[in-house]
Order: sequence, then C-alpha cells, then structure tokens
Amino acid sequence: MKDDSITPIHYVMLLPGVGFIVLFLGSSIFLTVAQSFGLFSISGHSRFTFDNWKVIAAQESLDSVFFSLKMGILSSIGTVLVTFPVALFLRKGGAGKGFLGSLIKIPLFIPALVAAFLIVNLISYHGIVNELLMKLGLLKEPLRMLNDKFGWGVIVIQIWKNLPFVLLILMASLASVRDDTVDAARNLGAGMWQVLFKIYIPLTMPGILVSMILMFIKAFGDFPITSIAGPPYPSSIAFRMHATATLYQEWDQAAVLGVIIIGSALFVIWAYSRLADLIKGGE
Amino acid sequence: MSNLRIVNLTKRFDDVVAVDRINLDVAEGEFLTLLGPSGCGKTTTLRTVAGFYQPDDGEVWFGDKLMNNVPPNKRLASMCFQSYALFPHMNVVENISFGLRMRKVPLPEQKKRISEVMSMVDLEGLEKRKPGQLSGGQQQRVALARAIVTQPDILLFDEPLSNLDAKLRVQVRVEIREMQKRLGITAIYVTHDQDEALAISDRIVVMHQGRIEQIGDPHSIYLHPQTSFVAGFIGLANIFEGRVVSRENKRLVVDAPFGRITIFDENALSASGEMVKFSWRPEDMVVSAPDAPNAIKATILHSIFMGRATDLFIDAAGQRMRAVTGNATKYEDGSAIVLGIDEKSIRVLRR
Repeated sequence: MKDDSITPIHYVMLLPGVGFIVLFLGSSIFLTVAQSFGLFSISGHSRFTFDNWKVIAAQESLDSVFFSLKMGILSSIGTVLVTFPVALFLRKGGAGKGFLGSLIKIPLFIPALVAAFLIVNLISYHGIVNELLMKLGLLKEPLRMLNDKFGWGVIVIQIWKNLPFVLLILMASLASVRDDTVDAARNLGAGMWQVLFKIYIPLTMPGILVSMILMFIKAFGDFPITSIAGPPYPSSIAFRMHATATLYQEWDQAAVLGVIIIGSALFVIWAYSRLADLIKGGE
Repeated sequence: MSNLRIVNLTKRFDDVVAVDRINLDVAEGEFLTLLGPSGCGKTTTLRTVAGFYQPDDGEVWFGDKLMNNVPPNKRLASMCFQSYALFPHMNVVENISFGLRMRKVPLPEQKKRISEVMSMVDLEGLEKRKPGQLSGGQQQRVALARAIVTQPDILLFDEPLSNLDAKLRVQVRVEIREMQKRLGITAIYVTHDQDEALAISDRIVVMHQGRIEQIGDPHSIYLHPQTSFVAGFIGLANIFEGRVVSRENKRLVVDAPFGRITIFDENALSASGEMVKFSWRPEDMVVSAPDAPNAIKATILHSIFMGRATDLFIDAAGQRMRAVTGNATKYEDGSAIVLGIDEKSIRVLRR
C-alpha cells in the first residue's frame, strides 16, 4: 500500500463515533451556553440577556464554584500523592504484592454513592475511627471529619474511591521505566530521592498529568460524595445546579452553572497541558 | 583507580546458586574479562561488584575497603549496560553530566570534564540530542562517556557491544581498550563472545555454572585450556577421552576411540591405566603420510572452502572430528585422508 492519504471514505467511517459526539454533546453544550444567555429558554421568554449570569454571580454560587474547584484540585493532587508510592511498591514487587494489588482494586467496583456511605460509617462524628480513638484515650471528644467546613471528608472519600483507577494509569506509566535506567541512575550516584525525582517522576509525568486531569474532572463535577460528606455550606457546584433546576425551577440559571463547570474543566485541562509542555521543554 | 578483590563470593536466587564461591583478584589498571555462556554467573558477579546484588556469602573489596554493605550509589564503579540504559528524558550532555551532578562536582569542573570526554568519544555537535535521536553506536558512546566522566575506581561493562553490528563491534572494542589503557582504570568486562574476550583482555576468567573454570591471559586460555569446557567454549576443539597405556617421562601413549595416540603431557599428571581427557585444535591437524607419528586415517564427510582455509568435517573410526587445512587442495566429500597431530599440540585436560 503506497497511497495512504485520507480519502472521503475515511471521514464517512468516522461518522458513527464522531457524529454521535458532535450531535449529542455538541448540541447540548451549545444549548446550555445559549440558555445561559436566555436563548432557547425552556420557560418560554427567549431573549438575549445577562440576567441569569447576574443572578449566579451572587456570593452563594461563587462559593459553590470555589468549593468545587478546591475539591477538584486537592482531590487530584491528593490521589496522585497517595497512589504514587503504592504504584512504586507494586512495581518493585515483594511480599504481599498480589494480595495488595487485588485489595486495592475493590473501590473500583463500588459506586461512588455506596462508597460515600461506607466511609461515612468510618469517619462520622460517632463513627468507628472516632470511637476507637476515644477508647484508646487519644481523643477527648470526637473529631469532625465528616461534613467538616473545609471538605476533608470529601477529599478522603474521593481519594479512596479513585485510588485504584489512578493506580492503573500510574502503574502502566511506571512499567515503561526500565530497570536498567534506574540501575544506571543509582550506579552514577543517585540516592533514593534523586532516583524518585530525576527518574521516576519525570518519566511518568504524562501518566501523572492524565491522572490529575481525570481526577480533577471527577471531583470538580462530583454530586453524590459532596452531598453526603460535604460541608453544610457551600454545596458543590453540581449539587447547586441540580437544586437550581429542579428545586427553584430556574433552568436558565442552572445552565449558567453548567457553562461554568464546562469552562472550568476546559481551563484546567488547558493549564495542565501547558504545564506538561513546560516540563517537556524544560528538559 | 584501585584493585578489586572478590573473596569466596556466593550469590543465590531462591534455590539456584548463580555464583558459587568465587575468588578473584583484579590488579590496578587491569582489563579483566568474565567469559562464559548465559547463566554462568558472569553478569551476577558484575552486578554484585556494582552493588545491585548483595552477596549471600563472601566479600567484595575495593582496595582496602570492604564494599559488602555499601549501596551502589556510594561505590565508584561505573557501569556500561548492555541496553546502554541512557535516560530517555535527558539530552546527551544531561546524560553525561548526571553522575557529576549527583556527586555534586563543582560546575566549572563539570564543564571541563564534559567537554574533555565529549571530544574523547567523538560526540561533539550532538550535545542537545535526546537518546532516541541517536544511532546505536552514538548511544553506546554516550553510555561510555557517562561512565568514565565520573572518574570511577572501576569500570564495569555488561556486554556493552552486543547491540552493535559486527563491524562496529570490532571498532568500538578497540576504542574501549585504548581508552581504558590511557585512563589506567581497572576494568571488568562481561561477554559471551570469545573473540571479543581474546581481543580485549589482559586476563580472561572463564566461568561455567557459577564457578571459575580457568583464569589466564588470552594466550594461555586458548593454547592451554585446562578443562574440556574451556577447550570447547573458546575456539574449536576436538575433545576425546582414552586410557593411558604407558607413560615414559612426560610422554603418554593413549588408547583413544579412534586409535592409539601419543601425547606430550607437560604437567605429567596421569599415570598408566588411568582415563584421560585431551583436546587439540582443528588447525593443529596437518595432512601427513600414513606412517607419520599420530597419523589418523579418516574419511572426509564434508568440506567447506572458507577462502583462507578449508574446514573439514571428518570421520576417524566412527569418531567425528574437525580439521582446518590450507586452501591449496580441493577436497572431495567421501574421499580418504590422513591427518597428523604434533604430540605437543595435544592438551591433557583436568576434567
């Protein structure tokens, strides 16, 4: 086959996949953006307006946006920080590797909502962890780990739930680092930390960034975990969007929140890929 | 620069004894080759010297320092890997300077050493290339430069040439040897290639099944193999076993499967009535008269004209052997031939 240029038939073959995405995702994104400016309004009065945006610009909604951003960023960093050592250990092997590998995949098969309830039992005000620490005399009164103001409970559950998924990505990344490369670094005088920072991390950076992007999007748009383990105020942006649409029947204002979610996600993905370019260029 | 001493080194992997009580002394500035088939323990020995493996028993000394518990990053023993093991995310200069940066060599000194070594291995102009953009030969040079730039006590080579094509292999092995001589660094070189070992070494250690079969300079290893393994592994050899019929001083008369033969046994270890193993090189067989001493009457099974010489596969009284003769005569398969061996060309083997 000499001629491998792309012919119209190639594009036709792409249609089922790409067409589906364009039709359903593209059109719904378009509608969401349009509705946020009052066009194609479900409530009837279609006209171009910034009113919806002005309403959402109120403190409550902004708090939700920042809270979700915070959860997204901290969960993605937290998950990678927790998972990377596990992935390194599983790469090395050693006693209990098989058992640990299977144990760690369990959360993958548990829905987020169920996971949230499971962990609630552990870290709630009168949960197992608090009761145990009190019995051992390490605590005078229970710690508020669930529905805490900052959202640590959410982050803990996010990390627990997503660790196996990120582990799969990071292990695939680490598998591409040759043992010889690590040996060569040690042979040339690199200690444990230098091997980690000069060899493992740079060579797995694509996997780390992909993990962080996927984790961010999951945690940023999260509904179930935040509604169970999140603070009483502010709610997550997804929760607020749901409430705005179904509780207050303000679909156009909900659309504004939808646009903010999409826009923030795109911005973070762009920022991460810029970061990846910078890291690549810096070497 | 330092001498290296290995005392009673043993390394096991589960039930397999990879290296079995090895003793070795490497002099300062010496080029020593560990030669053997795969699985003979040569790479394990090398990796133990580098510190990647902990010995199960025995000691490794660099000069007067016991190295057993010194981690690899604290040993001044630079290694050239078979895969080169260059850092794929770093360019040529970053690869070469890695060891200097890890050992916190001052920057001006780093620059000086890097430019020296870059010209030494002929890499100038490729400073900013990543390993993926280099040819195999260039990658090999980067690996070499990266190893010597740290000015190690000992250079370790783990089959560094096996990924190069035959021509480049010969060229680079000469370069490695010249550089090692110039720098005067003690070197240990692992290979399974006997030609490479003969060409490059001060001394060769032939290993087999985790043990040392023989240590010696290339001449003595090739010309005076002590065991049937060494005789068979290095070069071609005809190896047979026979009973000693009589002994007169150092001259043995042996009943071999292909007939009676006289051997000059320089060590005179075998007594009359004992079984003895012996070998000779195909090139030591010469066409001779039927009544010459040690004449073997044989049939040519197969002859291969090699240009410089002719390779003969022959059968003598049901025993297969090989001979190499000059290129003057054209041999017919199936024809008869008489070949003689000088009694001094036959080696008595220990086992």
